[in-house]
Amino acid sequence: MKIPTGVQGLDRMLHGGLIAKRPYIVSGPPGSGKTTMLAQFLKEGISGGERVLFIVLDEPPNELLANLRTFRWDVGDIEILDANSDIRRFEPTPIVEISDEQDPVKMRDLPEGIRKTPEVESHEVSVHSLQPLLKTLLRKHGFQRIAIDSMTGLRYFCMRDFEMDVSTQSFMRFLTEEKVTALLAVETAGESDVPPESFLARGEIRLHRIRDDSGIRRFVSIEKYKGSAHEEMVYPMEITEKGIVVQGTPPPPP
Amino acid sequence: MERVSTGIEGLDKMLRGGLPAGRPYIVTGPPGSGKTILSTHFLLDGIRNGEQCMLVALDEPPSEIKANMATFGWSLDQLTTLDATPDIKTHKKRNVIDVGTTLDVRDMEKVQDVRKSMQIRTMEVSIHSVQKMIKQTARDLRERVAGGHYSRIVIDSMTALKRFSLKGEDARILLQSFLRFLSELEVTAVIVSNALDPTALETEFLLARGEILLHKWIDGNAVRRAISIERMRGTPFDDRLRPMEIGAHGMSVFPSAAITSRGELAHTVDRAFLEARDADEVNARLDDVLAALESVRQVEGETREAEAAVLRGVVALQRKRFEEAVRHLITAKTRLTEELRLHDAATKARGKAE
Repeated sequence: MKIPTGVQGLDRMLHGGLIAKRPYIVSGPPGSGKTTMLAQFLKEGISGGERVLFIVLDEPPNELLANLRTFRWDVGDIEILDANSDIRRFEPTPIVEISDEQDPVKMRDLPEGIRKTPEVESHEVSVHSLQPLLKTLLRKHGFQRIAIDSMTGLRYFCMRDFEMDVSTQSFMRFLTEEKVTALLAVETAGESDVPPESFLARGEIRLHRIRDDSGIRRFVSIEKYKGSAHEEMVYPMEITEKGIVVQGTPPPPP
Repeated sequence: MERVSTGIEGLDKMLRGGLPAGRPYIVTGPPGSGKTILSTHFLLDGIRNGEQCMLVALDEPPSEIKANMATFGWSLDQLTTLDATPDIKTHKKRNVIDVGTTLDVRDMEKVQDVRKSMQIRTMEVSIHSVQKMIKQTARDLRERVAGGHYSRIVIDSMTALKRFSLKGEDARILLQSFLRFLSELEVTAVIVSNALDPTALETEFLLARGEILLHKWIDGNAVRRAISIERMRGTPFDDRLRPMEIGAHGMSVFPSAAITSRGELAHTVDRAFLEARDADEVNARLDDVLAALESVRQVEGETREAEAAVLRGVVALQRKRFEEAVRHLITAKTRLTEELRLHDAATKARGKAE
């Protein structure tokens, strides 16, 4: 069964959307529109009455909410899990990890300001704490869509160097087993970069960002899509007030 | 969304009203492109509004910044300055060499001359010590003035902070934590970065909420400047490259002017610029070597070895391996000079004999 991504042109490029219950990555350089695409994917889920979860690692939820106000979307029902680490302590105290009890909050209930690091014990996120927490949340609440912004943040800030490859692989494997449709943002360092996540994901939506005389131009392509035919071409896209719009895609088959 | 002015009218226009408040931003560009000037505009604007502003100086001593900015007629006296420039390295017989500083906070008003390295003990600059110092300074202000808080901070530069203080595999995590610390201070932060490689995923680039890029290139014999916003979360922005000038009153940005087309203006303007400069140097050497080769040929000297080296140099130049090209050209030049010297000596000897 295929589900819509929330970006019409992209659904056409995917020949009808994403095959449900599998993990996919959205890759691209900073500023290419990954976060917007993830939010649009979740918003689409909400309008279909699904439960959706946004796990944010790269920016505080209050900022994300403020940024999304640019689009006039109703995102109040998106549940958000703040996996931003607090300020790290430098004293050699044992690390206090994100607790299993931590619950996501709905976007409409988010406080205005940033969560402050408490004086006593801080909230540090590691892949070893996030994974069981996610497992509990998925079992308990039955989320149909999740988005992680970003896998690069998870890899860089929640794993030690020596465990990066193994833990990334294991985390991707975990998502596959959980049978949830997941969209994961991955930063790329240039056009030829192949991030490790793309090998394990069932599909890769690649965002491109090119500067020329007329400003910044954006494009989107499908680099990989297991189990489905898809458009091979690179299509221009724009970030408008209504979100991401892909241009010039072929009309849906009659 | 609350906005903070950058202190540069044209840039605020490009940002549709200024930087979204309370977030960290990156300012980057090649050496001499105006990064420190832009960040000073930002601080000055705060000072003029009666805000509390802080400069964390890691590259240049505050005394020099003060002197440089005085040429624009700017007074930075109200600016809190954290001098975290490293002291002269103490070389001891032991292996450990500390990069130190006194980590000294003062108002710019009181900055006189460059701080001398301490004879006995220097403190190590680390991301941790800088963070602690900022925290302490913010706390001192709160105690001195009820409700007092810093609203703007400039870190000049993050590249220096990383170079001097971050060691080991936790560098990324420490930097992430430092940026989180700035966010929790609810301060709008301008972070100067000298990292020019757009293909490297530097932590500060990943986590900054926006990026302003300064460009500088040589057009004929004039230095030309431009500015672009590469990305900015939470606000629409002008995504074109706009002309920028540094004049007697600081930086001016022309948000409705266009850069006259000069081929591809990519994100890599700076890299292309640096490459062109290296290529120019190699070309100048090449001309020099070719002239020498011609002289040696005229006196029918031996040129085979030099020619081979020139050829290798040209190949390296084409492959953009500039250092290697320079090495081959130096070899060629040495051979040719030697040949000419031998020829001169032979001529002289012959002259004497006659």
